[in-house]
Amino acid sequence: MTSSIFMHPAALFIVGALLLPLFRKFNAQKIWLVVVPLLAFIQIRYLPASFGTVEWLGFKLQFGRVDQLTMVFLHVFTLMALIGSIFGLHVKESGQHAAAWLYVAGSLGTTLAGDYLVVFMFWELMAFASVFLIWYRKRRRSIEAGYRYLLVHVVGGMILFGGIFLRYQNVHDLSFNLIAPDTATLGDYLIMIGFMLNAAVPPIHAWLPDAYPEATVTGAVFMCAFTTKTAVYVLARGFAGYEALAILGAIMTLYGVGYAVVENDARRILAYHIVSQVGYMVCGIGIGTHMAVNGAVAHAYAHILYKALLFMGVGSVLEMTGRSKLSELGGLYKYMPLSLVFTVIGGIAISGFPLTSGFISKSMVIGAAGADHRILIMHMLSLAAVGTFLSVGIKLPYFIWFGPNDAGIKPKEAHWNMQIGMFMAAFMCIFLGVYPDYLYNMLPYAVDFHPYNSYHLTETFHWLGFTGLGFYIMVKYLKPQDVSNLDLDWFYRKGALGFMWLAKKPVNAANEWVSNVYQNVGLRFTMATARALSWFDWEGIDWALDGSAKGMIKAGEQTRQFQTGKLQQYIGAAAGLVFVVLIVVVLV
Amino acid sequence: MIAQMITYLRERPTVMKWIFFAYLGFALVFDFFADRSGAHFWGDHVIGYWALFGLLGCLLMIVFCKGLSHVWLERDTDYYDK
Repeated sequence: MTSSIFMHPAALFIVGALLLPLFRKFNAQKIWLVVVPLLAFIQIRYLPASFGTVEWLGFKLQFGRVDQLTMVFLHVFTLMALIGSIFGLHVKESGQHAAAWLYVAGSLGTTLAGDYLVVFMFWELMAFASVFLIWYRKRRRSIEAGYRYLLVHVVGGMILFGGIFLRYQNVHDLSFNLIAPDTATLGDYLIMIGFMLNAAVPPIHAWLPDAYPEATVTGAVFMCAFTTKTAVYVLARGFAGYEALAILGAIMTLYGVGYAVVENDARRILAYHIVSQVGYMVCGIGIGTHMAVNGAVAHAYAHILYKALLFMGVGSVLEMTGRSKLSELGGLYKYMPLSLVFTVIGGIAISGFPLTSGFISKSMVIGAAGADHRILIMHMLSLAAVGTFLSVGIKLPYFIWFGPNDAGIKPKEAHWNMQIGMFMAAFMCIFLGVYPDYLYNMLPYAVDFHPYNSYHLTETFHWLGFTGLGFYIMVKYLKPQDVSNLDLDWFYRKGALGFMWLAKKPVNAANEWVSNVYQNVGLRFTMATARALSWFDWEGIDWALDGSAKGMIKAGEQTRQFQTGKLQQYIGAAAGLVFVVLIVVVLV
Repeated sequence: MIAQMITYLRERPTVMKWIFFAYLGFALVFDFFADRSGAHFWGDHVIGYWALFGLLGCLLMIVFCKGLSHVWLERDTDYYDK
């Protein structure tokens, strides 16, 4: 039992994260940062089909369940952990790396979980670890965005937990398998909503473009890969074939890309674009045919790599120039040409150019929609592909590296480790495009799909070429301006202000009135009672329990020192405690 | 080296423009010879359907999204800080 839990790749990352400060002390942090993800990437191949089954309070928890669907995600998650860690090698703070690895551990744990309780446990770990990747940026906006991110995810977690609770009440079975749409009950739908929140399905998506642009440079690279794609995995595992997902997914693709067309901050553009891309996956899962689920999974694999590549590219620019707004950038191609090349590879991959990974995965989802005679959805997905090329394929690189204006800055090329990280991701984007069977052989169902047929090629040539023409005609209208656009986070951000107003004005006024009444009437009575009680205390109680009061004062003094008043430290300590409990529970 | 190559190309915008138009022409010609046996609906049989879709989609998306942003959604970046 004990040995089988250490086989868990999440354990590797958790232990790795805990040992990071030690390796830093001996100047070996960089080596450790490569060794652990590399080990995990190799180790996942040797996992048995089932391991880590634990009896706990009458529940049977399963920490490891491996099949074809799990394997694809494990493969890309560990690969991404390796690429992300290499990209972040120059970051000295062990804490940031540790947060990233605990986050990866949460994601791997969720992917391997065989029942809902384990899913929930690792689900929360993901939220609590990843928020530190935002806070480590240490700007006021990041701290605030981090709290909003955490609050939204805690609400999502509670909905998920409520669903799990109801499900247990209904069917007394928490094993995590496909729930047929016709047998789904309220509990199952709550679980689905919890999952959908992490997949950033509108209208519960606004946390993503709110938080990701405020994360650290390396933090954003990790975040863009894990939260939404873990959600895609759990949806594919539990909720394939739900019509609502097909429709919401198609809406998502357009919603995200629409904002990506108008936004100004490069990382906000990419964040909105995650919503769009995850839409393809959610839609594929909703369609639910073998080809569609294959397409969703293939797209998740390809997407993690090219979206991370794009975040690395604009992250490099942010790291070297301190800027990420398109309106403040331009003309960088002379100074950061390699970052340009890598970002453009990410851009053409996400746009689905032939010979890149996007071509072989996106076409599967669109093709599956067509094969299932969903012509409207097929057109929505195709329109999103047009918008993708427009916003991320052309607009983003154009205004950063070329553009009508030269920003007048002369940054250095990105650090060597950042370039290696980008190279690895770029290599995978091209490799998958040239050799699609590498990915197709990993997919959950047998693949009978050939992306390189003449019709699919001509279709792609057309929409890419003529979208380019559209950009060429409209480029002067796309000139970025230093503004930001309202989204549905308005409701809770302005809603919170309304709540504060309510607390400050009417509630406070009522409070004042009550305390006035109390001072005039209640206080005299209370004082008299207090004097009587005090007399009783001195004369009666302390006589009976001599010395206990002194001890209490001393204990209080000691407790006070732990209470620093910083919420981040409390949350960190609580998350740490959960781990200690987890390890103890699992090992005993 | 990459930067020099890009500078070289940027100094020749007319050539670049014609290469791009030549590509568009090639894409349209290629469409006549594509095998349409796997067509999903009537539009797949129309020559240049996806070209028109790409161009109109792109133009309408820019007009719609930029328009919506200008008349409704656009705010200063410190809107929530005020």
